[in-house]
Amino acid sequence: MKLSRPTLIFAFGLAVALLAGWVAFPRVLYSKKHQPVEFRHQTHAEKSGIADCAECHAIREDGSFAGIPAMEKCASCHSDKIGTSPAEATLVDDYIKPGHETPWLVYSRQPANVWFSHAIHVKRAGLACTECHSTDGQSDQLRVYQVNRISGYSRDIWGHSISRLRRAPHEGMKMSDCEDCHRRHHVDAGCLGCHQ
Amino acid sequence: MKVTRRDLLFWSAGAAAGLIVSPVPWKVLDDTSIWSQNWPWIPQPARGPVDVKQSSCTLCPNGCSVRVRMAAGWPVGISGVATNPISRGALCPLGFGAHQLNWHPQRLRTVRHGLSTSTWDAARAAFAKACSEGPVMVVDGYPGRAASHVLETFAQKHGGQYRVIVGPETRALAPYETMSGVPASALGYDLEHPQTIVSFGAPLLDGWGAPGRFTRLWADRAASSTDPQLRLIQVDPTLSRTAARAWQWIPVKAGSEAALAAGVARVLLEERLVPARGPMPPMTLAEAAAQTGLTTDSIRDLARTIAARTPAVAIANDDNPSIAALNVILGAVGTRGGIVRRSKAAKPYISADAPLPSLRAVLIDSSVPWDFTPQTDAEIFRFAAWDGGPTDGGPRNGAASNASSKPADWLLPAPGFLEELTDVPTAPALPVETYAVAVNLVKSPHQTHSTAGFVNSIDPALPTTETIIHTRCADLFREHSGTLHAQETTPVAKLASAQKLEEQLWKGAVWVGSELAEPHRSANFRCELKEWPTAAASSRSENWLAAWPAPVLPPLAAKLYQDSSLREPPARRNS
Amino acid sequence: MSARYGMVIDLDRCTGCGSCMIACAADNNVPVLPKATARTGLTPLLVRKVSNALEGTARREAFIPIMCMHCEHETPCVTVCPQQAVEVDKATGIVMQMPQRCLGCRYCMTACPYHARYFNWWDPAWPAGMEKSLNPGVAVRMRGVVEKCNMCHARLHSAQEKAAALGKREIDPADYVPACVEACPTAAIRFGNLADKNDPVSQEAHSPNAFRFLARLGTEPKLYYKSSEAWVRALAESASGPVPENKSSEKKLAEVQHG
Repeated sequence: MKLSRPTLIFAFGLAVALLAGWVAFPRVLYSKKHQPVEFRHQTHAEKSGIADCAECHAIREDGSFAGIPAMEKCASCHSDKIGTSPAEATLVDDYIKPGHETPWLVYSRQPANVWFSHAIHVKRAGLACTECHSTDGQSDQLRVYQVNRISGYSRDIWGHSISRLRRAPHEGMKMSDCEDCHRRHHVDAGCLGCHQ
Repeated sequence: MKVTRRDLLFWSAGAAAGLIVSPVPWKVLDDTSIWSQNWPWIPQPARGPVDVKQSSCTLCPNGCSVRVRMAAGWPVGISGVATNPISRGALCPLGFGAHQLNWHPQRLRTVRHGLSTSTWDAARAAFAKACSEGPVMVVDGYPGRAASHVLETFAQKHGGQYRVIVGPETRALAPYETMSGVPASALGYDLEHPQTIVSFGAPLLDGWGAPGRFTRLWADRAASSTDPQLRLIQVDPTLSRTAARAWQWIPVKAGSEAALAAGVARVLLEERLVPARGPMPPMTLAEAAAQTGLTTDSIRDLARTIAARTPAVAIANDDNPSIAALNVILGAVGTRGGIVRRSKAAKPYISADAPLPSLRAVLIDSSVPWDFTPQTDAEIFRFAAWDGGPTDGGPRNGAASNASSKPADWLLPAPGFLEELTDVPTAPALPVETYAVAVNLVKSPHQTHSTAGFVNSIDPALPTTETIIHTRCADLFREHSGTLHAQETTPVAKLASAQKLEEQLWKGAVWVGSELAEPHRSANFRCELKEWPTAAASSRSENWLAAWPAPVLPPLAAKLYQDSSLREPPARRNS
Repeated sequence: MSARYGMVIDLDRCTGCGSCMIACAADNNVPVLPKATARTGLTPLLVRKVSNALEGTARREAFIPIMCMHCEHETPCVTVCPQQAVEVDKATGIVMQMPQRCLGCRYCMTACPYHARYFNWWDPAWPAGMEKSLNPGVAVRMRGVVEKCNMCHARLHSAQEKAAALGKREIDPADYVPACVEACPTAAIRFGNLADKNDPVSQEAHSPNAFRFLARLGTEPKLYYKSSEAWVRALAESASGPVPENKSSEKKLAEVQHG
């Protein structure tokens, strides 16, 4: 059967839109940034014997989470260069010695009105770090930080897959992802439990 | 083949269909909604750890303990400290907004000489020159501090004058100094023990003394009861906040407080409700009634009420000697429940309001109320953390506008809230000695110097504020008396070393010489009332908002008079 | 066992100083905007002055702190919100407002019988540098949304985190004290768990001089007031006349307390 001209043109338009939407759009939507220092989790785990995530990413006494450690933590070992890598040189020369906090790009940064308590999820609910952060703690290099040009947040929040289908279990940190996990575990936090 | 409009339409239809089944519209919708909830121009609080530190508020001489939450090196919240036995966790309304004062838009950022900006070096040079050319007067609005000692030593050493401005609580004690020879700075009010308090216009519940001290006491003993343990009688021309909550309100004509005091004293003596402790006031009861607008019967009732539940004490809101005379008649001088002498010796101060000699220069500390302007032609060097005037150098807010006074020649940026290390001597009106240290938790966002630091740089031989604080801590330890109030209460006698004492004070502890419940009363305090003082008109005392000495209020104070009608807007402020 | 946080405000003790208003605004990052007036200002906690309407020496005045009453039953604002931007939290009884979800229709402001809700007419702004004094833990709102007292939820969150870090399930009550309660110099505002029979605040809510405003509406507010002066209590339902005894609200409180 020969397709009519209008049908072909329609199909052509369809194809262009599908390509633009599924291939080009995800590439254009996210801009790439690099972390200020090429930090290697693997190196720190192997060479310095830092086995526990909580050694640097600690929950403080008052229950708040240290997040990405402050420069003070890095300076406790790296007050001067202890290795030969250019990454460490950058850390020591550009940040530790002058006394500036390293402007790390946080993959899981949420808007200000979100309250996520690591203390409650890790200590009370007993969630392992890997449940949400998978193998980040063993990475050989930090992933490129992909930031959504419209919303300003990391790609990690939506998840890598633009359609949100076939996501890895830990991918995605949108409200619906939190809700899904809460529903599975029968924990009703209410609005007050997650918002501030 | 020609591309027709029909082609375009079909192509667009295909594209539209494709777009709908692509992530574009849905993702863009989701992302723009996130963007629209997080507009980049909405300010965000700091992220990171919140540290809790303790210090003392330095905005007024009451020096209430403050707990300061700090994030990224800046204060983000202020609250009181319950373990301070004087303030008992309370702060005045302005204290809760004090953490925003560091960033007040009227912060003095640079040295000003007249209408133009200048430098610290130029100011130092000018002041040093002035000191060498003639006598200098130093005015201190917060006497008793270590910094005050530096200023006083400087003034004496260079043949100058040291004068003070004191608040209404201390001013009201001046008549007792005249009658007894004991300096007003050594006196206080034992409010914990009277059963009747007659306040002649003093805003006891709205800006008198440390906020927690009397308000808590009154709340616990008097608030809910029709027959309270503590009878608060408020003499006020209008229904002030204190009058509205008092056990009894005595409405008198403005300025007639002295007449009422005389009338009450007459009844107390005539009806022998009290022993004859002093002379009869010359004013008759009818005259007192006429001046106050009350009836003679109501003055009689008042006197009887006061005498019914003793100890009774009268509190004035300024240095009206008639009310002091009434206290002598009531037997409220040097006794439990009245005006008492704190244990330590103190020296008399000269008020800056007294007539001035000829001067070459005047140095005004940042603690001096903004509306104080010395009547002099001398060169005025004024320290201030905030500027009360418009930035074009126009008339300064609150400055007197008559010909013989002028705004400062030099305006020098002083440290603001919690930006300098200083100490907190005994608060005015307390019957016990106290001491605390206000640690500088915040680095000033501008180049500032304290007045004491400034004179130190002119004369390095002078002691510094810090060394004087160390000495005072050592002295406190050596005397082995009093208790240190922190998380626990520790008697000083049980402390291991002066260093331990100092450590605690640096962390926000408060030293108290004796407990409020049992103040040490020196027997060496008696007042002689030879004849009844001539009546003097009283000035209205002001509540916290209106009496604030600095030229600017914490911005949040506007909640009380702009965003609501809870209070009257203060008369003379830039916002 | 879920909590039902509420307050008893002793009007004999309130001197109208305004410390609570300022502490509330500071803790909750409420801006002071130059164009605001008493009608358009943001005062999640507002102290009102009332009088017995007499003049001369018979005049009596009192001060009443008004904030969200955290209504327990058929909460008006929750009922009308088209966005589900407010809900009664099951675990604490706090009526939690989420300004980010609000679309600014202000239906809730009309529905609230206590005028306890406020609209952000303008974007918040602070003088240069003053944003460094903002309280972390409380998101700053934008213009076009309604806000109200959330019972200092940031302090509740801190208390919950601290308890979790220590391995405890329940918070330490000393860790969760709302800003206004902490600030009041006469301890007029008292805070506690109304569902706990042993809580002094819960017991005080039953005292003879305790009342609630507009109790006849049946919204079961969790803020109780107390006054030894009859004219103040008479303000609860109307400006004149005595307060009718509301037996159904007593019953409701009993139900909440006994589970």
